[in-house]
Amino acid sequence: MEKQQAEHGPVLDYAEPRVDELLKHSIRTQLESLLKAKLTTGQRQQVLQKSFTDAMTLVLSDTKIEHSTLLKAFEAMYDQAVQSMALAQLSEELLTKQYVSASGLIMSPHNCKHTIKDVYRIQGYARGLDRAIHSKLKHNDSVTILYPACGPFAPLLLPLLSYYKESKKFTNKQVKVILVDVHPGAILALTQLVEDLQLSEYILRIEEADATEYKPSESIDILVLEAMQHGFTKEGQLSIAKHLVQFLTIDGLMIPQNVSVRGMMVVGETEFNQQWKQAQYSHSLNVNNEAQQDRVELGEILSINKSTLLNMQELELQDGVKVIPASKIKLPSGVKDMGKRILAIYAHIDTFADEGVEQYDSGVTHPRPDMTFYIDAKPKDIEHTHFVAHSGDMVQFYYQLSGLPGFVPVKL
Amino acid sequence: MQKFAVFTGSCQSLPVVQYLLQTNQLACVVLVDGQPNPDLMQLQQWLKQQNITTLPYSKNGDDALLSQLDRLAVNCGVVYLFRHKIRKPLMQYFNGELMNIHPSPLPEYRGPQPLYWQLRNGETLTKLTMHQVTQELDCGDIACDVEIDIHPFDTIQCLYQKTSQALLHLISQYCELKQNNQLALCKQTTEYTKLAPALQPSDLVVNWSTCNTSDIVNMAKAGNLDRFCAQLIFRQSTFQLLQASKVECVLKGITPGTIIELGLKSGLIVKTHDGAVKLDILGATQGCFDGYRFALLFGLEPGLVFDNDVAVNSR
Ligand SMILES: C[S@@+](CC[C@H](N)C(=O)[O-])C[C@H]1O[C@@H](n2cnc3c(N)ncnc32)[C@H](O)[C@@H]1O
Repeated sequence: MEKQQAEHGPVLDYAEPRVDELLKHSIRTQLESLLKAKLTTGQRQQVLQKSFTDAMTLVLSDTKIEHSTLLKAFEAMYDQAVQSMALAQLSEELLTKQYVSASGLIMSPHNCKHTIKDVYRIQGYARGLDRAIHSKLKHNDSVTILYPACGPFAPLLLPLLSYYKESKKFTNKQVKVILVDVHPGAILALTQLVEDLQLSEYILRIEEADATEYKPSESIDILVLEAMQHGFTKEGQLSIAKHLVQFLTIDGLMIPQNVSVRGMMVVGETEFNQQWKQAQYSHSLNVNNEAQQDRVELGEILSINKSTLLNMQELELQDGVKVIPASKIKLPSGVKDMGKRILAIYAHIDTFADEGVEQYDSGVTHPRPDMTFYIDAKPKDIEHTHFVAHSGDMVQFYYQLSGLPGFVPVKL
Repeated sequence: MQKFAVFTGSCQSLPVVQYLLQTNQLACVVLVDGQPNPDLMQLQQWLKQQNITTLPYSKNGDDALLSQLDRLAVNCGVVYLFRHKIRKPLMQYFNGELMNIHPSPLPEYRGPQPLYWQLRNGETLTKLTMHQVTQELDCGDIACDVEIDIHPFDTIQCLYQKTSQALLHLISQYCELKQNNQLALCKQTTEYTKLAPALQPSDLVVNWSTCNTSDIVNMAKAGNLDRFCAQLIFRQSTFQLLQASKVECVLKGITPGTIIELGLKSGLIVKTHDGAVKLDILGATQGCFDGYRFALLFGLEPGLVFDNDVAVNSR
């Protein structure tokens, strides 16, 4: 069928994909351009592959690339990826299903699709991963990579694989990938995208499974994971990493190698508003010196890496909620305007070597204000369960491993 | 010979009026004193068509009314959905023959909003009670009553309809007992546990930190399509909750009010203290929607949390 049409010239062999109304609405421009272009499947796949390799070529380049250039390349990658998603014909049920699982938020493919536009997060991961793969392949013939909670587009890895294939840098004999996601809609979209990118040769398996329970049969050389939201909250990064770290080979690598979660007391207006008045876009390079100096740092609350994960002690609270003890912090004294400040928690991600994702580079490293934490101030309304402490107090932070993970402070 | 005056301000009393009219016991209808509303106007029109004598009640005093009642030789009275507190002179005129109809198993749920509070407390049975009008509201001796079954899905509108049907039974039972001299007034027991006070605006807002699942389900039923509609607050906006259902949930450590699931089939599910609740039908100025569509239209997503009140955090 496909062939026949191709013989009659460039005919759109998927002229009327049965795209769900909601998806159609949110990616209308991409669908219109798809229909207008009148490409064959092969041609569309080529455009898609090119957009992926182009973005990676920029990201891996050692010369500085303009923000707008990067943005355009990622936008093109997104446009192509959502066209592929449209062709996966997810039902409305699968497209929009989103829920809180026992270990974290499971986002719908509809909401996940945007993460492939998150330029500097993907850059930090892709560059780190590339170096990690290089370093592994120096001593080994092949490297097995596990990417749990990869979402519908597996954006931390599929663009890199496209680039490897196109540049013939690494073959499928060298790089073998297992993709895992618990959402059946993500699996459908992922399967379509892998097929469209013609990357099946690199993919050992696509598994529909909960990453906090999944047991890979092979040992893993590289575990790549990004399942968190700002302030290291909501998604199951820690639970997933904690479970899967045991399947890493002795010298296996976790990407990110370290996530450092830090706390600070900031004047909301200065940190989140004034600081960005002049900036063109949100990025660690664009932070404002004055605003940075105005911060009162509390220090590191939790660090997540292979060794801390292997040593982590879970405690079970009376209500059955599991927590992990994080740092004890002495609240600084002598800060005049402490009562006006809010707690903000942010993550600093070291993916590999000196590559990473710094504060404000991505939504996931954006400081998260916590409006329930008060030092030297009284909450406005008494009904809520607020945390109230004073300068000089010792505070023990816990990380709660619930369906919406996050930090809980306790006064000592 | 009984000559009745019916004191009311609502068409919902028509079964009583009609029964008394048909059995030749109706002297007049005394209408509430106040701004006309559609319900009252419809009632007036109907009474006019039936050539029924109407008398105005006056907030200022009973003298005029008393002489007119006397002229019509009225000797019995029934009060239902009449907004005014009956004053002493009128009570004395009837000398114990003035009855009020209250939709609750008295002495439970004394007060102006009995049906609302019974639904809200998840009662499964109620009564329409005929009792003597006394100085103290809803406290007089009971003449007779009719049971009304409350279905688990009944809304306040369903109960209005059911009470209206039960009215006919109540008034006919009362009149027959009276005619046969079998009426025995019965004192209300002194023990009761629940009241039916007037509703404050804050009573209508779902407070996730205090309400449990059945409270929320019942609030929605009790207010459905009524001015007492249950309200939800999300990012400073208020929405109406018209129907909700209880669902099981084993998640731990999730703040009540957090949206935990959204799906075409499963709907919009929110964590409560003791489980979870599915928000079946929601209303906004834009219209009524099922929870799923509502969530997608207004950006409600699992992981986000409903507010308990409209307080703005100013920090
Ligand atoms: C934010 S998205 C994609 C994250 C992806 N790493 C990226 O960079 O775009 C989150 C995805 O993780 C999946 N996910 C979250 N928790 C999971 C778990 N415990 N097991 C498997 N998949 C999970 C969800 O189903 C969803 O498709």
